[in-house]
Amino acid sequence: MRINLKAMLFAASLMPILHAQMAIGGEAGTALKNDTLRAEPFADAKSSGSFTRGENLDILKKQGAWLQVKAKKGTGWVRLLSVKRGTTSSSSQTAGVLAAASGRAGTGQVVSTTGVRGLSEEDLKAAKFNEAEVKTMESYTLSADQGRQFANAGDLKTIAFSNLKAGKGDAK
Amino acid sequence: MRTFIKNDKLTSTHSKLLASSLLAALLGLSSMPGAALDLKGVLKDAVEKQTNTQPAAAPADSAAKQPEASTPAAAASSEPAAAPAGEAGLKEINWKNPSKEEEIAVGREIAGNLLGAAPLVKDAALQKYVNSVGRWVASQSERADLPWRFGVIESEDINAFATPGGYIMITKGLYRKLTNEAQLAGVLGHEIGHVVKKHQLKVLQKQQLLNIGAGFLSSKYAKDNKLISKAIGTGAEISARSLDKSAEYEADRLGLSYATRSGYEPYGLTEVLQIIGQTNKSDSSVALLFKTHPHPDERLVALGDAIGSRLDNIKGGKTLENRFYQLKN
Repeated sequence: MRINLKAMLFAASLMPILHAQMAIGGEAGTALKNDTLRAEPFADAKSSGSFTRGENLDILKKQGAWLQVKAKKGTGWVRLLSVKRGTTSSSSQTAGVLAAASGRAGTGQVVSTTGVRGLSEEDLKAAKFNEAEVKTMESYTLSADQGRQFANAGDLKTIAFSNLKAGKGDAK
Repeated sequence: MRTFIKNDKLTSTHSKLLASSLLAALLGLSSMPGAALDLKGVLKDAVEKQTNTQPAAAPADSAAKQPEASTPAAAASSEPAAAPAGEAGLKEINWKNPSKEEEIAVGREIAGNLLGAAPLVKDAALQKYVNSVGRWVASQSERADLPWRFGVIESEDINAFATPGGYIMITKGLYRKLTNEAQLAGVLGHEIGHVVKKHQLKVLQKQQLLNIGAGFLSSKYAKDNKLISKAIGTGAEISARSLDKSAEYEADRLGLSYATRSGYEPYGLTEVLQIIGQTNKSDSSVALLFKTHPHPDERLVALGDAIGSRLDNIKGGKTLENRFYQLKN
């Protein structure tokens, strides 16, 4: 896997043109689980293939909560959450580029180079109570009515939807 | 660190239990102040028994139904819940069965410590916007009655925090990743879910009951305010600790449910998880988030399993990117 990533990184860095085409023609994705491809974006549409967890996919189209993808074994529609968008390799490349651009690369001292305070475990342990800031935060507290007015302004309408329950395969 | 516990009352109440306690002998095994922690294993079962028997929304009088009075945990509840918490701090929190006011007082302490690590972004319009979204989503939760408050804090880390009683913070680094209001609603909904289910409060309760139970066994330590407050400190470090994975999945399910009920496009939270999942693990901005939460990929799979076909007929949810507040810097 690691070798693959490196190879892909290398290839990607050599071929920015290819990358641009992918952005237009289709986004890369990874299968988060085994799933069945459907000929249409409906759960009861007929099967048009399948993919396995970890498989690289090409995302062709998005429609509502469905993605049309190209997999090794066919092309078809799957639910949005069966697919991780982007690939790990491209994101590590991005991270690397950003790190280099911000002067972070290699220092390992993000806090000291950027001057922005982090929120590491150590920072949290060392933190001192700040009464003034809590008071400020509390000064922004809104009432339920104010929340409702804000929702109305955005034409947000409540709907009936009971809380989701844990799925069967959910790791407890 | 401020002193949270005034020990007089604790000492007098709890010392009555000393004689009968087998744990007093155990304490003799270690004379270090850390003994409180060493006793955790011994007391764990007793305390879990006490805390687990209370459902999340337990009525205030459920303590009366607890039959056991021989454990230190039960002793901690012998104080009437009427003890004022408020701004006086956490002097006499009824850790066994804290009232709403006490819960808020605890959350306030932790929020204040978090803000000590990373203050609010100095942008009143931003804070007002986040409070508006958060308040609306919280109103669709099971605890709409809490005085919910929200804040964007000065940190380029990617994270969000909830403390008991409804103090919720999101880092500027995470806010920066968002592109619409539905995503913000999903993130805030996740944190609201933690508060509704009292996930952090339960962790604190267990810890405090353990510490109280262990601490008062030695009058030497109980007399020392500093040691006690250190042991019982409700500092921001609680936010650096992991909850059970199941608590995170539960908060994800609730967050998505609240945002959906609020009229938002339901997939806001999952979009944010997609974005975070693309951040390299070695990036320090996600170090704490990845340490304290299941990987976003796992969370997406779990949410996907929970959703199944439940959203298939949900239409018309809004993303409201047009009014999404843009950071000034």
